[in-house]
Amino acid sequence: MQRIPRALAPSRPLLDELFNTQTRQCRRLLSSQSSQVARRPAAAQGLAPSQRYRPLVQKRFKYKTVEEAKSRYRSGPFSWKAGLLFILTGGGLLWYFESEKQRMQRKRLAEANKGVGKPKVGGPFSLIDQNGNTVTDADLKGRYSLVYFGFTHCPDICPEELDKMARMFDVVEADRPGALLPVFVTCDPARDDPQVLKEYLSEFHPRFIGLTGTYDQIKSMCKAYRVYFSTPPEVKPGQDYLVDHSIYFYLMDPEGDFVEALGRQHSPEQAAKIILDHMKDWKGALRK
Amino acid sequence: MGLFSAFSGSAPEDKRAEEVRTGAVAPLRTERAKCYVARDAYFACLDKNNIIDALKDEKAAAKACGEESKEFEKDCATAWVTYFKKWRVQDIQKRARLAELEKQGANKLDITTDFKPRTD
Repeated sequence: MQRIPRALAPSRPLLDELFNTQTRQCRRLLSSQSSQVARRPAAAQGLAPSQRYRPLVQKRFKYKTVEEAKSRYRSGPFSWKAGLLFILTGGGLLWYFESEKQRMQRKRLAEANKGVGKPKVGGPFSLIDQNGNTVTDADLKGRYSLVYFGFTHCPDICPEELDKMARMFDVVEADRPGALLPVFVTCDPARDDPQVLKEYLSEFHPRFIGLTGTYDQIKSMCKAYRVYFSTPPEVKPGQDYLVDHSIYFYLMDPEGDFVEALGRQHSPEQAAKIILDHMKDWKGALRK
Repeated sequence: MGLFSAFSGSAPEDKRAEEVRTGAVAPLRTERAKCYVARDAYFACLDKNNIIDALKDEKAAAKACGEESKEFEKDCATAWVTYFKKWRVQDIQKRARLAELEKQGANKLDITTDFKPRTD
């Protein structure tokens, strides 16, 4: 009995049994050499209870109880605990790698759209809002801004897109209050004065900022944002006309750099998710 | 617009409607909705009579859908009427082309041209 190492010491009842059966065991050991009884505890299960606990066999395994040994035999090294651990670890790693991959993709997109030195899209401007106050590019900094170009006489697309923008803004606002500025810039400064813009935008969202200015101011603004627009030539006063223009939402980061263009293919919820994801990635300063 | 100026009185609603028609003011939400309803009714009539281009087949369109056309022109800005008629032609051509391409086994891209906002 002294030869059993401490680490392999069996439990109390097991020891008692071993002591009691020691003499018999020795005898049986001698005889078992000829009868070729299997040495594994696996085989011991089918044997009579008195034959079950043989020291040589017991030493090879670290089970404290017979139940443990039996269960190990039944299920092998796979227990529900091991399975659960495997699933949790695997799932965790999968989630981590997927989210990290998506984050890197967004970062690459934001970096790619960020010009070196001079921004490719956006830039300094000075326009007036629907309340007659001057708004410059500095006023938009410190927050993300969603810039949309349109005009109040727009037949179908602008109103629809502005409704979408309102929905988008509400979804983002619910999650991150005050982090996004919704900006509407008119491409038709001749007709869209601050008063007209105020009446028009109040129907979509009270928080929308409408910007207008002189024809040249709007022209340079559109040029900076790479927006195509066409006011028909030689417009007589009072003549009705439509303006052709680009219909993208421009997402600008808190430093005034272009991040991503959101188009008609995005639903408001999809677009809001894209905006919120970009906000999550932002490490710079934000205006409170 | 002579037809309508005949019975456009001095009531503010009529004045406002007239301003919307001439493009003096930008239509508000209710006015836009009204215009879209009139437009859809007019286009439904054109569909029924197999008229695609209401600008080209002006006589046929006026004969088949005179009533709807009157409503359409009453409720929408004049510039919009022309725009929507042109849009209709382009949209029908686009749909036809897309259907043709699809028949040839082209891949479908997720682009919407509907007036209805997306709900998904």
